[in-house]
Amino acid sequence: MFETVVKVLADYKDLSPDDITAQSTFEQLGVDSLDTVELVMTLEDETGIKVEMNEKLKTVGELVKLLEEGRA
Amino acid sequence: MIHTAICELLGIRYPVLQGGMAWVSDASLAGAVSNAGGLGIIAAMNADGDYLREQIRQTRALTDKPFGVNIMLMSPYAPDVAQVALDEKVPVITTGAGLPSQYIRAWVQAGIRVLPVVPSVAIARMVQRMGAHAVIAEGGESGGHIGELNTMALVPQVVDAVDIPVIAAGGIGDGRGMAAALMLGACGVQMGTRFLVAHECAIHETYKEKIIKAKDIDTLATGRRLGHPVRALKNPFTRAFYAKEYDAGVSDQELEAYGAGALRLAAREGDAQKGCFMAGQIAGLVQRRQSAAEIINEVTGQAETLLRGACQWVK
Ligand SMILES: Cc1cc2nc3c(=O)[nH]c(=O)nc-3n(C[C@H](O)[C@H](O)[C@H](O)COP(=O)(O)O)c2cc1C
Repeated sequence: MFETVVKVLADYKDLSPDDITAQSTFEQLGVDSLDTVELVMTLEDETGIKVEMNEKLKTVGELVKLLEEGRA
Repeated sequence: MIHTAICELLGIRYPVLQGGMAWVSDASLAGAVSNAGGLGIIAAMNADGDYLREQIRQTRALTDKPFGVNIMLMSPYAPDVAQVALDEKVPVITTGAGLPSQYIRAWVQAGIRVLPVVPSVAIARMVQRMGAHAVIAEGGESGGHIGELNTMALVPQVVDAVDIPVIAAGGIGDGRGMAAALMLGACGVQMGTRFLVAHECAIHETYKEKIIKAKDIDTLATGRRLGHPVRALKNPFTRAFYAKEYDAGVSDQELEAYGAGALRLAAREGDAQKGCFMAGQIAGLVQRRQSAAEIINEVTGQAETLLRGACQWVK
């Protein structure tokens, strides 16, 4: 799942995948709150998983966890 | 007569919503708009649950028609007012500044119509999935807290992305704006700025005068640096705020603190120096004080005439 998130995020924001870790915050990556929702919807389309998100989502790792919980 | 899916959904005569406006839209304005056949919306703003309960009761005393409550999700009292709206079983809830994930299920289960204000396609899709009955796509022309996209670009993209009805907001001030919004695919409109000068709107006289005098270029969006820009009339307050915003020596906290309470000063005291007179770009079009009923009749009547005449362009 982490790889999928990194791939989608890197593609969306023209980032280098190497710069993205589970600890990276969206703020550090230049992903604002509107972008975060866009990212989540893109990942949902890609994975078929539905997640319950709120404003507390701050890091890549938290997003990966949300998606994994959604799959279960 | 213009009749759309929004009229059916909300049980209203005209597909016109009066946007929730902090320090502006209380029971007096909301009740008048609902009585006139639109949907009046009380702003819960940053006040506590007791304030909202009182406003809901006053609105019910004024009208037996549907009305709404606007909940600012960033408010420290959001959980409190969310519960009050539920207990009071208000007919409609609109939400601003965030995702209503925490509350939406309970509201929908209680039979409340939930209409989140959305600034982007992704957020519209997300709230549709959460169970929203319709979305209000609000462009950055509008007064108050604003998003990045403008109404003209935002509305058709949201219309394409969701299956629920879309209401257009931001920069709509007359029947031309309403007709255009319907052509973009919206099923209704939400207006804020135009209702500021309604007789039933209880803001300070100075505020109304400033709206009537305002021209097209007289608003300014400040606060981009804080991540939640606000559009208001240019005055000493907004100019000073704008200067501080670009002054690296002023911290974000100082900037936030400087803006706190400024809308109240405008709405209650009419303080031309320190008040923040939130208004949309359409303020320049607003020329006259009228009753809420006159505003709604004029806007919908003009839109109807224009839409009927629109086939003149088609040969
Ligand atoms: C003075 C003022 C206060 C506002 N306060 C709120 C608010 O508390 N919550 C909200 O969701 N929208 C708020 N808005 C936005 C309005 O509900 C509405 O969507 C907007 O005014 C529509 O654009 P217009 O001003 O171009 O008609 C406010 C707008 C104004 C002018």
